[in-house]
Amino acid sequence: MREFFVVLKFEFLNFFKNKAFIISTAILAAMIIIGLSFPTIKNAFFGVEKTKEGTAIEEQEDLGTFGYIDSTDGKIDINTLKQNFPAGKLKEFTSKEDLESEVNKGNIEAGFILEDTLKYKNIIKNNEMMGSGEGMFEDAIIETYRIKEFENLGINYNEVQGLIRPEIQSETVVLGKDSANNFLYTNILVFGLYFVILMYGQLIASGVASEKSNRAMEVLVTSTDSKNLIFGKVIAGALAGFAQFFTIIALGMITYQLNREAWDNSLDFLFKIPADILLNFALFGILGYLFYAFIYGALGALVSRTEDISASATPITIIFIGVFFIAMTGMQNTEGILLKVASFVPFSSFMAMFVRVSMGSVKLWEVILSLGILFISTILIGILASKIYRMGTLRYGNPVKLKDALKSLKED
Amino acid sequence: MNLEVKDLYKSFGKTEVLHGINLYVESGRPLGLLGRNGAGKTTTIRIIMDLFSGNSGEILLDGKKFIPKNHKIGYLPEERGLYPKKKTLEQLIYLGELRGFNKKEVKEDALYWFKRLGIEEYKDKKLETLSKGNQQKVQLASVFLGRPEIIILDEPFSGLDPINSQILKDIIFEIINDNRILIFSSHQMNYVEEFCEEIALIDKGDIVLSGDLNRIKEEYGKDRLTISIVDLQSRDLKDIFIEKFKDIAHIVETRKDYLIIELLDGKSKKDLLEKIIELDLDIDMFSNYKPKLSDIFVERVGDK
Repeated sequence: MREFFVVLKFEFLNFFKNKAFIISTAILAAMIIIGLSFPTIKNAFFGVEKTKEGTAIEEQEDLGTFGYIDSTDGKIDINTLKQNFPAGKLKEFTSKEDLESEVNKGNIEAGFILEDTLKYKNIIKNNEMMGSGEGMFEDAIIETYRIKEFENLGINYNEVQGLIRPEIQSETVVLGKDSANNFLYTNILVFGLYFVILMYGQLIASGVASEKSNRAMEVLVTSTDSKNLIFGKVIAGALAGFAQFFTIIALGMITYQLNREAWDNSLDFLFKIPADILLNFALFGILGYLFYAFIYGALGALVSRTEDISASATPITIIFIGVFFIAMTGMQNTEGILLKVASFVPFSSFMAMFVRVSMGSVKLWEVILSLGILFISTILIGILASKIYRMGTLRYGNPVKLKDALKSLKED
Repeated sequence: MNLEVKDLYKSFGKTEVLHGINLYVESGRPLGLLGRNGAGKTTTIRIIMDLFSGNSGEILLDGKKFIPKNHKIGYLPEERGLYPKKKTLEQLIYLGELRGFNKKEVKEDALYWFKRLGIEEYKDKKLETLSKGNQQKVQLASVFLGRPEIIILDEPFSGLDPINSQILKDIIFEIINDNRILIFSSHQMNYVEEFCEEIALIDKGDIVLSGDLNRIKEEYGKDRLTISIVDLQSRDLKDIFIEKFKDIAHIVETRKDYLIIELLDGKSKKDLLEKIIELDLDIDMFSNYKPKLSDIFVERVGDK
């Protein structure tokens, strides 16, 4: 046990001496801090004083100016049209040439020539995907037309509006879990877990493979039990990974607290994750991490060069990505049968069960059973990995296939 | 203490590489494990170190099953390797701690070996920045760390210059005088000859020769003599020999300065000397043949 802690300490400190690790943490931290401070920064440089009443009109002006020529002999009420055109300001032109030249110069967004109550020509410079206010202009024409026609019939248009689009008042009472609200933070946690496992899995695999390629392994496995080596390495990776993850989360929380006003408290829900969800996340996350880290460690022992890892690790990475997709799609429907099955299989339970706990309703015994299965499988995988690790020590040359590795373990 | 390897067999896949190896080594009497490249020396050592297990056979220490992790063993693998990107002293301390020593004592001991091997100045350097010879010395320091009771050195002299070889020789003599178990594998015969009282010669997975080195040499030198004559090239001597001495001895080998001959059955040194005197040849050298280990090696395992 003492030797295990020696390995653990050595490997853990290695992460903090690893420049790539430090730099990636620093970059992530910087991204989080800058991202969460964005509204404050924006306000400081491009601040618009919100309290002024004129804001709405000012903002409308920002949208741009459109030109029009009215050749309908007063069939259209231009004032009504202007009021119902939210895309920008409408400026009147008298000659078509003027209108076209202004459009060409880019002084106005587009031009419209009104020919009849429901007929117009659209003049634009380039036909781009993002509309040049055409749709809104059409809506404005229709609206103007309706108002006029209803008036002709002696009907108050506002009353008609009230009938066609009545205001609805509603309230949702959630009896189970409010998935919609949990959706975002569950997403973020699952994503975080996905990246941590994938990144550290690769780090552990390449760590093992490089010990093999620089031939340190023979000295190591004759100095202590291989279980100490692989358990120490994998658990050190887990500690480093979660240290990194929680450092970033903590930094995010602090930054958010400082910028809360600028965010208008709109992200509060993200940082108010219930304690039981966090506990579940920690338990499933750590076990899931260890489960995969052992597999990656064993895979590292089967190759002789670090370059061979990505090829050897492909099958497990594909499984892992599949699990991730099951979890992601499971978020839409936590009662789906696939997610339910996945929440008990050790390869996927750490994500699937977490999604169910976080967003659906799960019975406690289900959670405990799934956790138990995962716990036992992780220990078994750990022991198997330490055997593969030891067996792989002296196998140089071509990568050993997992199938062959298991076969020769059996023979031993 | 004694370490014994009994009837060791090992196959890789369908190829059997060790066909019943027997070795015996006791404290203070180092064993030289000899053999050509690929003969099975390293495989035998790796099985002793429990890096993998043999298909059958046993390894015993003082008659009981030998479990390497229960003993302090200094092991220099054939494939040298430590962490290239770690500071030398740091990784030695790590290895010492893995072997169960506490940090303080292992640090002291590591510094002692660094000084002894003349690499003290590199203790805070990364291993990869050192020359090959110095890296080798760091590796040796890791072997001697913590006064192991059993020491297994697989080709320890490869990569060392004559001065460093001398330093290592002194250390090895010290270990021998300290009454520890030492197994020494090499194909550099002169080193084995210097240290080892016992040898075992492995060829294609079989022990073809083993036992006390002096006795083996005597056996090989039995009835053989070396002879040279003043002012006579060994080539000329060879001609005279073939002509005049054919009833007494035959030539085993013609060396640059002398002949190695073997007496025929029933003939003695006296017969040979009488004939030399009769021919009035001026003796330059006349002695029992003491074969070098390399001679025995070539004769036993060389391509015939």
